[in-house]
Amino acid sequence: MKISFRINQKDVSLDLDPMRRLIDVIREDLGYTGTKESCGEGECGACTILLDGFPVTSCLLNAIHAQGKQIHTAEYLAKTEKGKLLIDCFDETNAVQCGFCFPGFFVSSYHYLLNDGEPNLEKIKYALSGNICRCTGYTKIFEAILLACDRIKKQV
Amino acid sequence: MDFYKPSSLPDLFEIISRLEGRKYFLAGGSDINVQIKNKIITKEPVVYINHLDELRGVRDDGDQIVIGALTSYHDLISSPLLLKYIPFLSEALRYFASPPLQNMATIGGNLANGSPTADITPLLLVLNAELKMMSKSKLRIIPLNGFYTGYKQFDMKYNELIGAVIISKKATSGYRSYYRKVGSRRSLTIAKLSLAGLKKMSGEQIVEIRLAAGALNEYPRRLARIEDYLTSRIRSELDWQEIESLLSKEITPITDLRSDSEYRYQVCLNLIKQFVLD
Repeated sequence: MKISFRINQKDVSLDLDPMRRLIDVIREDLGYTGTKESCGEGECGACTILLDGFPVTSCLLNAIHAQGKQIHTAEYLAKTEKGKLLIDCFDETNAVQCGFCFPGFFVSSYHYLLNDGEPNLEKIKYALSGNICRCTGYTKIFEAILLACDRIKKQV
Repeated sequence: MDFYKPSSLPDLFEIISRLEGRKYFLAGGSDINVQIKNKIITKEPVVYINHLDELRGVRDDGDQIVIGALTSYHDLISSPLLLKYIPFLSEALRYFASPPLQNMATIGGNLANGSPTADITPLLLVLNAELKMMSKSKLRIIPLNGFYTGYKQFDMKYNELIGAVIISKKATSGYRSYYRKVGSRRSLTIAKLSLAGLKKMSGEQIVEIRLAAGALNEYPRRLARIEDYLTSRIRSELDWQEIESLLSKEITPITDLRSDSEYRYQVCLNLIKQFVLD
């Protein structure tokens, strides 16, 4: 089945099995391997992408769900101005250890920064509650996002 | 696995009226894809419906709120209509699954999956919610209470689809509401058990009470024996030993990786006590 969508600001039209997992389309057919698979059941959030601007777990979506939609993965978001600022903050607070879960954390954090951006710990915890990290504990990740929220506020 | 993508709602009803055997509807994908991964679903036809926008959205319909089956949890949580009339439902929904899953999962999919641990079902049961069942030539409105008849068994014909969930705007007016979900963490957790309740009091007398528990039975239903016992009694005169023995007939908690049956039984009793005496 022909499935057309926009990914990282590029239009694509592919002949796909409509039930193929979206994560496999993104990683294997399109080469955006920044999106990671860990649990494969929507529990861990490593495969989080933005679908029409909202975070979703791509391991539980099918190719057909992408039809006519706009997708952004960590690769693209990392090159935006807010993405770069966020990465600097993760760097400064030493938020990342093994890094496997991090593209997912990055996408969820980016969405929070773009749509809310209030330096409020409770809200940040809620926004990231779909992402699981088994190395670091979460404190430094939250600190980084608080820092990013503060920096963006100062810019405006 | 045959795949169908109907071009419209009438086309959908045409397609499903020809598919007499077991089939699956694909909406948000959050439940079905786990079952495909675990090879619980292998060869049955899949009918994609997530693009049928007429089945999506929270609508004001006079005395009722009509929730299209494809409405996502995110859209439910952010619905001003739901927040205005059934605020306790809006608040409870925030802690279902996780934000990414809330953006995908739909209310119709959650109900049609029929899991005994589904978070929303006990809440809808005490709200006396109804289902709008749609097919090619017929439309029927049925109470959710009674829809489930066994483990993943429900009153839905092969040519039917859950089109919407209907809740009265006055479903909670005059009632005290209660919801507790017990799990290992707040987000992204499958309930060990949950309890939803509504009660109407006159001083110390329980005029009416509705209780429904999640994850404690093969299928979601109300705790009718407990409700019957409590109705019109005075709170201070309740025989809790009697309630305990009724509860043992009413629920069949299992032992699994999330919890054991004794814990589930005891906590359910504690939650009922908390709600009744509060």
